[in-house]
Amino acid sequence: MFKKIVFTLILAFYLTEFNAQKLVPNIPLETFKGTYTTMNKELSEDNFYILSFWATWCVPCINELDALNEVYDELSDKLNFKVLAISTDDARTMRRVRPLVNGKSWKFDVLLDENHDLKRALNISGLPHTVITKQNQILHRRVGYAPGEELDLLDKLRQYELE
Amino acid sequence: MSLNRFALFVVLNFFIFDGVSQSTNFFYGSFESNGVYYQDSESSDYDKKFASNSYLNLKYNLNNKWVFDLQTESYLPLALQNYSDLLEDTFVSTFSINFNPNDFNFTLGTIYEQFGSGMLLRTWEDRQLGINNSLWGIRTSYKKQNLRFVLLGGYQKKANTISEGKVFGFDSEFTLYEDKNTFNSLLVGLSYLGRLEAPHYVSYPFDDLTNSFSVRIDYNTDSFYLNYEYAYKSEDGVVKFNTVSETFVKNGNANLLNAGLIKDGVGIDFTFRRLENMGFYSERVEFGSPFFETTLNYLPALTKQHDYLLTNINVYQSQPNISFQDPSLMKAGEIGFQLDAYYNIKKETFLGGKYGTKISLNISKWNNINGNYDYENEDYDLEFLGFGEKYFSEQSLEIRKKWSEKFSNIILFVNRYYNKRFVEEKVGEINSKILVFDNTLLLNGEKSMRFEIQHLFTEDDKKNWLGYGAEYNFNYNFSAYFNSIVNYGNELEDKPAYSNFGMSFSKNASKFMLSYGKQRGGLMCYGGVCRYVPEFKGLSFSIITSF
Repeated sequence: MFKKIVFTLILAFYLTEFNAQKLVPNIPLETFKGTYTTMNKELSEDNFYILSFWATWCVPCINELDALNEVYDELSDKLNFKVLAISTDDARTMRRVRPLVNGKSWKFDVLLDENHDLKRALNISGLPHTVITKQNQILHRRVGYAPGEELDLLDKLRQYELE
Repeated sequence: MSLNRFALFVVLNFFIFDGVSQSTNFFYGSFESNGVYYQDSESSDYDKKFASNSYLNLKYNLNNKWVFDLQTESYLPLALQNYSDLLEDTFVSTFSINFNPNDFNFTLGTIYEQFGSGMLLRTWEDRQLGINNSLWGIRTSYKKQNLRFVLLGGYQKKANTISEGKVFGFDSEFTLYEDKNTFNSLLVGLSYLGRLEAPHYVSYPFDDLTNSFSVRIDYNTDSFYLNYEYAYKSEDGVVKFNTVSETFVKNGNANLLNAGLIKDGVGIDFTFRRLENMGFYSERVEFGSPFFETTLNYLPALTKQHDYLLTNINVYQSQPNISFQDPSLMKAGEIGFQLDAYYNIKKETFLGGKYGTKISLNISKWNNINGNYDYENEDYDLEFLGFGEKYFSEQSLEIRKKWSEKFSNIILFVNRYYNKRFVEEKVGEINSKILVFDNTLLLNGEKSMRFEIQHLFTEDDKKNWLGYGAEYNFNYNFSAYFNSIVNYGNELEDKPAYSNFGMSFSKNASKFMLSYGKQRGGLMCYGGVCRYVPEFKGLSFSIITSF
């Protein structure tokens, strides 16, 4: 049994080291209109996108999005990026998303991944989970949010901008 | 070679030969492992034992048209406390081949799907709860401009086996109107789900095939929205003590109405729901299974989902089912509503201050459906808008305020009524008030700290609780925390106390957590679904990584 655990762990780390998901899968997501869009369509512009996976009940997720919202106006043009907040709220809390977004005056676009199709396709286990992408290529991803970490995320964007 | 080993072998070979790929063909996946050494557990099966649940998911993308997906799960040496007994050893849990040319999508194997809001069908995975009720079968969908159609059929996954009942159905959605430049739209949907399960030895007075359907309408504008969904389930035997009744036969129905008002800085949402005998399982006798095995639909509690330790005591669970316990405790469903309001007080105003203030309010109330219940003859006649015995009510107010560049806090107040007798079918009613202060302080560099204090006030049940905790972020990757809740109002000599400390390290898409402490037993709820967990003390670890 112990051997199996060790084997699985080594395999997992091996996979992490040598392979990485390269593209954002073209999964359909719901809009506030109830209609569907696809990731290819949403990520079609030639700028950076920050995909932030969140839920209305996830306190650190809201903290991260509140913090990004604070700097969004000032920096989104300068650093040439857009934020797409992807709600993973299911039928229990999904109806709360649009009022919450308006109540918080968030400026970015929000999409709904109600049955976690995109979350599953990107193999996301914990929230918040943030992905930086450009032209569908995944450049960076991270799990969790510590206060102030949005600044680190923006630093990453500056680095990519220079490359 | 077993199927498990064969599948793993095939996938690993794929992986090895793919080492240098740079096109659109690539491997990706995730690994998650959660383990506990139970130093001390209420459950004698776990006392002084180690248990772990691990999930390895591998996907292969071929030409952006095909996705092969395989998940292996390990429960070694045994599954964590209160996961299904059927989860043991290592096995291939899900496997699918997905083909996605333009407007069509075909899946063979494991299917995750939701029809409408899930009142007929929702298959999904929730590892925290040990739910994976995916279907094993075929699914095809077609999507073109204003039409979306899904057709599927198969057997349902039941831990490491499949259910006896067959499931098949379709979901369709038509966009009748959509304005590209505004939020204006009008959609209608129609779904059907059939469950075919032949009873074994008895000839029942209802059909082997249970039919269910739902209709929905969804209307949106820039400042208003309205949705309504109606679901119906045909006659079926009521299940009591894992036995399908030959005499108590009822149909079920559900009404879900939702409306909202939207303005910049303001959002209001109202939901009304009435559920009558809507529990639906691919195997009838699994009805009410604590592990949610073979559950077909998703009928979560529509209440505010909380994230703090004391707010997660006495959480409501939805009551969609018939339960005739005794003549004083008879239920056939639930009726109630929920209201949410969000308001952003603008910056540079008297109440908003320099950084603005964010307020959210939630009100919910859920009752049994009023009507004439007949215990002797096992029957009932319900009023459509009859509010019977109250199950639960809650009012909560949350204020988020940033005071300076460095300091912000959240204040949460909750007033709650919980009818333990009607919800859990135990004894008592609990009125409680909860107050939470959650404070965040940014320090120099990447350092920050969070400290919280919470109190639960009640004269009922186990009386008052106090909770406190602190978290220190050394940098964006590494943090340590401590938290404790004490039931100091309890009449027991030894006041129950649950303290935990731990650390977490995250880098990119990986996270490692280690903690030690005592966990409260009782009803644990995640995502509106609750389960009993025995109290334990031990060392826990968790690894998650996506690649």
